[in-house]
Amino acid sequence: MKSKKIIPYLLVSPYIIYFLVFVAFPVTFSVILTFHSWNIISPMEYIGLNNYKRLFNDAFFIKSLLNTLLFLAIHIPLQIIIALVIAELLNQNIKLRGFFRGAFFLPVIVSGVVVTILWQQLFGYDTGLLNRGLVSLGLNKIGWLVDPNWAMPSIAIMATWKNVGLYIILFLVGLQTVPPHYYEAAELEGATHFQKFIYITLPIINPTIFMVVVLSTIGGFSLFIEPYVMTGGGPLNSTLSVVLYIYKQGFFYYHMGYSATLGLFFACLILLVVVIQKRYVEKDK
Amino acid sequence: MRINTKILLSACACLLIISGCSNNKSQKNNGLIYWSSNNTEEIQFADSMVIEWNKTHSGSERINSQPVPEGQSSEEIILAAVVGKTTPDIYSNMWQGDVESYAEAGALVALDTLPGFLPFIYERCDSAVVKEITSLDGHIYQIPWKINPIMLLYNVNSINEIGLAHAPANYSEFYEASKRYTRDTNGDGYIDHWFGYSEVLVTWWQRFFDFYPLYLAASNGGSLVKGKSVEFNNKYAVEVFRFLRSLYAKNYFSKESFQGKQDAFLSTNIASRFTGPWEISHTEKFKPEGFKYDFSPIPVPDDHKGPVYTYGDPKNLVIFKTCTNAKLAWKFLQFMINKENDLKLLKITNQLPRRKNLEIEESYQPYFEKNPKMRAFARQAKYVKGTDASPVLKEVFDLISQEYEACVIFGKKTPEEAINDAAKSVSLLFNK
Repeated sequence: MKSKKIIPYLLVSPYIIYFLVFVAFPVTFSVILTFHSWNIISPMEYIGLNNYKRLFNDAFFIKSLLNTLLFLAIHIPLQIIIALVIAELLNQNIKLRGFFRGAFFLPVIVSGVVVTILWQQLFGYDTGLLNRGLVSLGLNKIGWLVDPNWAMPSIAIMATWKNVGLYIILFLVGLQTVPPHYYEAAELEGATHFQKFIYITLPIINPTIFMVVVLSTIGGFSLFIEPYVMTGGGPLNSTLSVVLYIYKQGFFYYHMGYSATLGLFFACLILLVVVIQKRYVEKDK
Repeated sequence: MRINTKILLSACACLLIISGCSNNKSQKNNGLIYWSSNNTEEIQFADSMVIEWNKTHSGSERINSQPVPEGQSSEEIILAAVVGKTTPDIYSNMWQGDVESYAEAGALVALDTLPGFLPFIYERCDSAVVKEITSLDGHIYQIPWKINPIMLLYNVNSINEIGLAHAPANYSEFYEASKRYTRDTNGDGYIDHWFGYSEVLVTWWQRFFDFYPLYLAASNGGSLVKGKSVEFNNKYAVEVFRFLRSLYAKNYFSKESFQGKQDAFLSTNIASRFTGPWEISHTEKFKPEGFKYDFSPIPVPDDHKGPVYTYGDPKNLVIFKTCTNAKLAWKFLQFMINKENDLKLLKITNQLPRRKNLEIEESYQPYFEKNPKMRAFARQAKYVKGTDASPVLKEVFDLISQEYEACVIFGKKTPEEAINDAAKSVSLLFNK
């Protein structure tokens, strides 16, 4: 009888241990850290709310937040439009459909570092393929990664290329849930392809669009590898993302308390944005 | 009852796993642990030292060498070891700039408290070097071990082609050489051959290859900071910023990153760069037929007087507080860096030991005759500087680097404004 009571606990214990060690403890410890100054090698020092006060007066944090928002403003619409258009094309009965579906998904499974190094070569100012193309067309070179005005849009273009395959697949799944007889009925009424897309497809795949927006918002907020590898946050901090800044504070300056404060604040901000997005979509329904 | 057996077995398994996570204590009973750098040559050198030492020392006097465990960087591994109190007894390859923070945290043994340390160190190094390695609390926590001075690597053929007899030694000569060399060779309207190159990334340590050696050269080895006082807000730093800013403004240096591309120096896209002796083996291995190169001191302002200093990229030896027998560790280190073993270091790793009279030391001459390119670095070794003692040195370099980017690369600030702003930021950092 006693053993019957223990068995369920034993069965769930691996997950409970995992949760306690790798989720509950780090999160709790991070929250505690936000009230302390700690450089890892010296003892922690309690500093009350100083880390929070610093956060609101930190020009680099504000700059990194604005950079991340700029990235999202370019990346999300670009990604949704491109993914939707390609998914719509791949949903048609075209030749080599399977090949194209695989080809568009390929960048998703390639390592982020490999992709960034590849794009670094494409974006090169003097020797990059893109600028060579522009020059051969008689156009001026663009400082893709060396001009502060172009650096973040360039990273957004690259991130879109890297991730769009995943969203194409999600949209394809959404598009295949649209009952074909809706289109047939619309065709009988004389609807154009565009009208069918606007009045039938879009409303039905609205939950998919919401999911894509949420996923790309969360993914976009966690922008790190691309600026870390390609630009180091430059030029002139124009690609310093919030996560890169958190990383720098934590693992470069060893300001663990402040880094944890930035992380906590940023997690709350992402949560807030996602809740607002959810409410907006639900209201729209 | 069956379940109790299972619990017992699980507990035993956990105990086994936990026992596997212990540190090196059991190994320590058989002597001390020495972590070397994890590149092949330094592992070879460390192993040879330990084999030699262990021939005459046994039991608890033995030294066990192992390369620093693999990680993103050895600095991170050392930090993790300090936090986890799993540091080795001895570590070579400690970057001088990291020592102050570890000393402040009480992780290192004050070596000047060990018998015979001070006479030894004054015999090995100049008093200026001893002053340089002395911590803010007056103790010495590191032994200068090896250096890789930063110098100007240049293409001899390119220098001859543009009608110069020697590599540019001052700013005017550098401008002139740059003017003559920089050009558009394929006629597309864009420059594709630059006289020099330096990585434009804002990463703090990139400044070891442009601003910092140039600053040391201009200021006769001046400091950036002393304790909590900013020292770099001076005419030398401004001059260096102005010099580099002009090079970028006139397109004599490319703003593009050449990382991950074919070697721009070997392909003659650039004629020079600021670098260290590690470049020799790479260049020798990959240079095209007829390619000639050499090294010269870092360029200085036109009115410069005195020797030309540079950054030495020093890597030093430390004993961690976790060491149970610091006297033994010190004895081993004395053995490891004696004159003969420094020559071994030079031969095996092609890195210069940081000791007096390196260039004229008779027993080292056969090495320099066999490796003539290294002689320039040996000559320079008299005039190298490491880093200032500061627990926040990386942040100091980062703040300078931010201003460097704004002024030198993008011309958004004048050199005076940029240096002044960097000095203000560093002062704020010190007074936090």
